[in-house]
Amino acid sequence: MTTQSIPIEEVCDWLNTSVSDVFSTMFSSEAQSVPPLDSHGTTEPLVIGSVGFVGEMNGVVYISVTAAFARTLTSRMLGMPEAEIEGHEMVNDVIGELSNMIVGSVKSRLCDRGAPCVLTIPSIVRGQNFEVQPIKPSERRLLGFQCGTDHLAVEFLMKLSK
Amino acid sequence: MKKKILSVDDSKTIRLIIQKAFRNHDCQIFEAGDGQEGLAMAAKEKPDIIILDLTMPVMDGYEMLTKMKALPELQNIPVIMLTAEAGKDNVLRIAKMGVRDYVIKPFKEDVIVAKVGKIIELPLKPAAPKKYDDEIRLLVVEDKPAIIAQIQKALGHTRWKVEGLAQAAQAVDACAKQVSDIIIASLSLPEEGAYDLFTKLRGDSKTKGVPFIGLCLESATEEQSKARQAGFAGVVTKPIQPDKLEAAICRALNLDTASRYFQEREGTIVLTMPEQLDSTLADKLSLCSREKVMSGVESGIGKLVIDLSPLKSPNLDMVQFVVSVAEACSEFSLSYALIGSEAVIQECKKYEESQGWRITENLADAMAA
Repeated sequence: MTTQSIPIEEVCDWLNTSVSDVFSTMFSSEAQSVPPLDSHGTTEPLVIGSVGFVGEMNGVVYISVTAAFARTLTSRMLGMPEAEIEGHEMVNDVIGELSNMIVGSVKSRLCDRGAPCVLTIPSIVRGQNFEVQPIKPSERRLLGFQCGTDHLAVEFLMKLSK
Repeated sequence: MKKKILSVDDSKTIRLIIQKAFRNHDCQIFEAGDGQEGLAMAAKEKPDIIILDLTMPVMDGYEMLTKMKALPELQNIPVIMLTAEAGKDNVLRIAKMGVRDYVIKPFKEDVIVAKVGKIIELPLKPAAPKKYDDEIRLLVVEDKPAIIAQIQKALGHTRWKVEGLAQAAQAVDACAKQVSDIIIASLSLPEEGAYDLFTKLRGDSKTKGVPFIGLCLESATEEQSKARQAGFAGVVTKPIQPDKLEAAICRALNLDTASRYFQEREGTIVLTMPEQLDSTLADKLSLCSREKVMSGVESGIGKLVIDLSPLKSPNLDMVQFVVSVAEACSEFSLSYALIGSEAVIQECKKYEESQGWRITENLADAMAA
């Protein structure tokens, strides 16, 4: 099923590439595409970054990691020991920025393909045992990535065309 | 004067990454969280360059840049634009803004450093002087394994780590992973490999400060001259003499060698003086002695023995040095004893401070005193 002229599977490929690029550039490590875990496959506390895009195509991307992995990513990105990371602010900012980079790359490709759009500012949700459910008909895809011993999930919701 | 870099980005993460990227460079980083703050900071600090995010709340990068171009005092400050959006339209838009360069997120730290370095001069921070006792990394580029083995053996008594590679290309790869403190390269490597390696590493901001020592035959005087003219810090000739090799390395790295004169024996620190003592070395040794006395007392050392007998020309510097060490010993309640030759004893008789010193003939007597 396609939404407008860009197949959703192609957008998923862009997301795959984008996650891989961000991890190799910012962390010098691999984010290997794997089958997604159901309901994120964990009851651990999660940190979810979300960035939407609005324009010719509308959608939202959720980047989900465990709170522990979020701290690890923060430590590696900022070059500081985890013990020095106080509170949630810094972690939220890092996850927000990672979400921005991942979705920014997809937005660029959408624009190049004649579907201009703008990004929303990133937002962060924290908690455990919850799901995101769209209320309007939309295409949904769930992507999984293995980053060493940690897992990253990308949930992509795109509004269906009329 | 330190270069000033203004980082304007609503993401604290990006601003921290930029701070981290320039940590080894002698520059000041100022920050702003949006275009409005950025304008105010630019007007106040007059940075040498601005790294400007495109998408920001309150005032975005495009608006900030437009306002800067209208202000005579800010219009000539070079700007590097930062954006997560690599689309063709966006890149064209950025190019038309009159920025000097742009960086697409995600980015590696050395990319932003390299781009800034192309626009403004970015000196490295002066490194803290290394000490003889430090774990120094030496890379030996020599196609004869026996020479590498000789060097490793000659420096085996130090804490220095010696890695040997046979080819210059391998050395380039090795330095890309981890920069060595010093490189010893055979001047007879094929196709002028040593000079090629020197030129390559000098062209990289990460490695341009690494000193090179050339290795060649003693009779190859032209080669030695050529290496020095090219900018090599020194040349060591074959057959390799360990003391000359070590001295060349110490000179090239400007090593603080004071600690090499100290040894621990049976609960005693023994300081063996060099043959020549000038005021500069005396000051370094004095500082080092104080540190050794302090750490020695912490770890249960009972005595400091100063062996003055190697000194070829005992003089006032020697006397003043012993006085300073004696003061340190007194401060930390550590006993000390002196060993000296006849020349030392005669010299000590000349000065009021040293006339009453008890000077023994050997280590056994000094330790028993």
